Amino acid sequence: MTTWYLGLATSGHDPALAIVDETGQVVYAEATERFLQDKRAWGISPDHPPHLERALKICGASPETDTFIVGTTWKAMKAQMDVKIHDAMLPALDTLWMRGLNGSLQAMAGHSLLRLGVTPDRQRLLRHEHHLCHAVTAAWFAPLSDALVLVLDGEGDVGAVSAYALEDRALKRLWRSWGPGSLGTFYGWLTFRCGFDWRLGEEWKVMGLAAYGRVIPHLRAALQTLLTVKDGRLLFAAADRIAEVQQMASTYARTISEPPMQAADLAATGQAAYAALADAVIGDLLAQQEGPGPFDLLLCGGCALNSSYNGAVANRLGLRSLHVPPCPADDGNAIGAALLSWMQDRRVPTIPASPDCTPFLGMEAGLSGRDLRPHVRGFEVKDVSGNTAAAVAEALAQGRVVGTFRGRAEFGPRALGNRSILADPARAGMKDHINAIIKGREAYRPFAPVLRARDTADWFTSAEASPYMSKTLFWRQERQDQVQAVVHADGTGRAQTVTPEMYPWMHDLLDETERRTGQAVLLNTSFNIMGKPIIDTVEDALAVLSTTGLDTVLAGDLLISKPFG
Amino acid sequence: MPEALPKDELVTFLIRRLAALTRQNETEIGLETSLLDIGLQSIDAVLLCGEVEDAFQVEIDPALIFDHDTLGSFALAVKELMAA
Repeated sequence: MTTWYLGLATSGHDPALAIVDETGQVVYAEATERFLQDKRAWGISPDHPPHLERALKICGASPETDTFIVGTTWKAMKAQMDVKIHDAMLPALDTLWMRGLNGSLQAMAGHSLLRLGVTPDRQRLLRHEHHLCHAVTAAWFAPLSDALVLVLDGEGDVGAVSAYALEDRALKRLWRSWGPGSLGTFYGWLTFRCGFDWRLGEEWKVMGLAAYGRVIPHLRAALQTLLTVKDGRLLFAAADRIAEVQQMASTYARTISEPPMQAADLAATGQAAYAALADAVIGDLLAQQEGPGPFDLLLCGGCALNSSYNGAVANRLGLRSLHVPPCPADDGNAIGAALLSWMQDRRVPTIPASPDCTPFLGMEAGLSGRDLRPHVRGFEVKDVSGNTAAAVAEALAQGRVVGTFRGRAEFGPRALGNRSILADPARAGMKDHINAIIKGREAYRPFAPVLRARDTADWFTSAEASPYMSKTLFWRQERQDQVQAVVHADGTGRAQTVTPEMYPWMHDLLDETERRTGQAVLLNTSFNIMGKPIIDTVEDALAVLSTTGLDTVLAGDLLISKPFG
Repeated sequence: MPEALPKDELVTFLIRRLAALTRQNETEIGLETSLLDIGLQSIDAVLLCGEVEDAFQVEIDPALIFDHDTLGSFALAVKELMAA
């Protein structure tokens, strides 16, 4: 009989599950949205029975005999607390709705185990503090024993910011912010005022648009007064001040029917205000430390998805290093909850470290045990076993746009290469081509580059490691023309830097690409169409191939291509 | 019993902060003061928990203050946490 530790992300949005084995290793992690192919999977239980069944089967767990310790990603039951909802920034209806979802998922967490045959005596439920889950997830992926950990979030059990010290792999909370006062909420509000919808996860669009705008100094100063930062803790201004600032911002705002560029100045100004406030929080945290520094910082929580901010902060604030896990938002908390359950059950005070920092923790790309070849008529199908990197490099060098469905799926919002659409960024018009014929997304949004870590300084003005595509770096001016499809309007690129140790296949692909085109940089975007999550199965992959302008799919060892012409 | 609580650092702190948050005179506030009747808003109650956590280095459950009707009862619960 084996004991498994099942982490369930129970926020209500972005549900996910993670499984830790008896040795304290994360053996599986996957967002529910992938399985359901429903973006953000609002309100779906993270132990959705068929998804959980698949995950347990892949891990070799036996619901008939094994024991399951279930951990949730919230300690408190917010829905049960009689706290007046802060509605000066975001509509109270949304908050009420989310609290209801959170309450029901918290109440039902692990319930699906019954459906799979796990008797009540072989399951136990533990509830973990939300920000502690974020911090533990960040620590799992961090190649460090000691660091400061900052959770910058939309909300938490008591507030939206928590600070911890990681010492010899043990976490100690330094302080937490209480009450309303949230950079996540601020960014949600900004997203709405730019004419986008945070409920659809459109904060990305604000970040993308910001590159086209100019920062309006008086508006930035006003936006910064929406929140006060005191000893790192955040608090919203009084409602009348918030109303005053919102009125000022409305001059620059946009409704959904207006052209996106109308909100570019507000996006740029809001992003600048966000950066100033986040700097103030981190600055306070650093100032509170006794040692001289420099310090290593693990940044997590939903705000850690702000890659534009992440790319500049280490240098600006004098950090020795900044680490952002591949899954800093609420889906990633499933890992923290599973690890905390293991630590609590085994009475281990220290957080296990990932042996290889790999983000590839999801389902292995499989062909459903079938021979696809007779069924993909009209496509050219080549078995490229043992030679997949070279075969993909060849197709890319010919100007083809290639979808990858190989290896284990990435955990977190970024496609890092195993469920990606790849292309040669040197080709003129490639960005517009992919936007127009595959992704169907707005022309102003940037595409990201993947390159070898050792080449980072050759292409960018800094050589920061960004293995999970969480930092936006500045391209060297003289090289921008060589990779124009992945250079954003402000001269930046959200880099993924690859080492042969963590990701040998991509490293090989970049080597093979260099042999053919003379440069080892590729465009890497998620394998999906707009509004849908990243693909989950080979059928999803082939559906995108069949219904968009995608040229080729690497499905396991098969290269499936539309005929040229 | 709350009545038996000495007017120590914690109680003094709570009286001072409760007076400030509800814009009352400190002399009007005592151990028997009802948190609800004095007009402590729920958001301020949450903030007060945070202030206590910071000032007295004790981990407070966010629901704690809502389980207590009076300042004295809340103070006693915090003392129990501090002693644990």
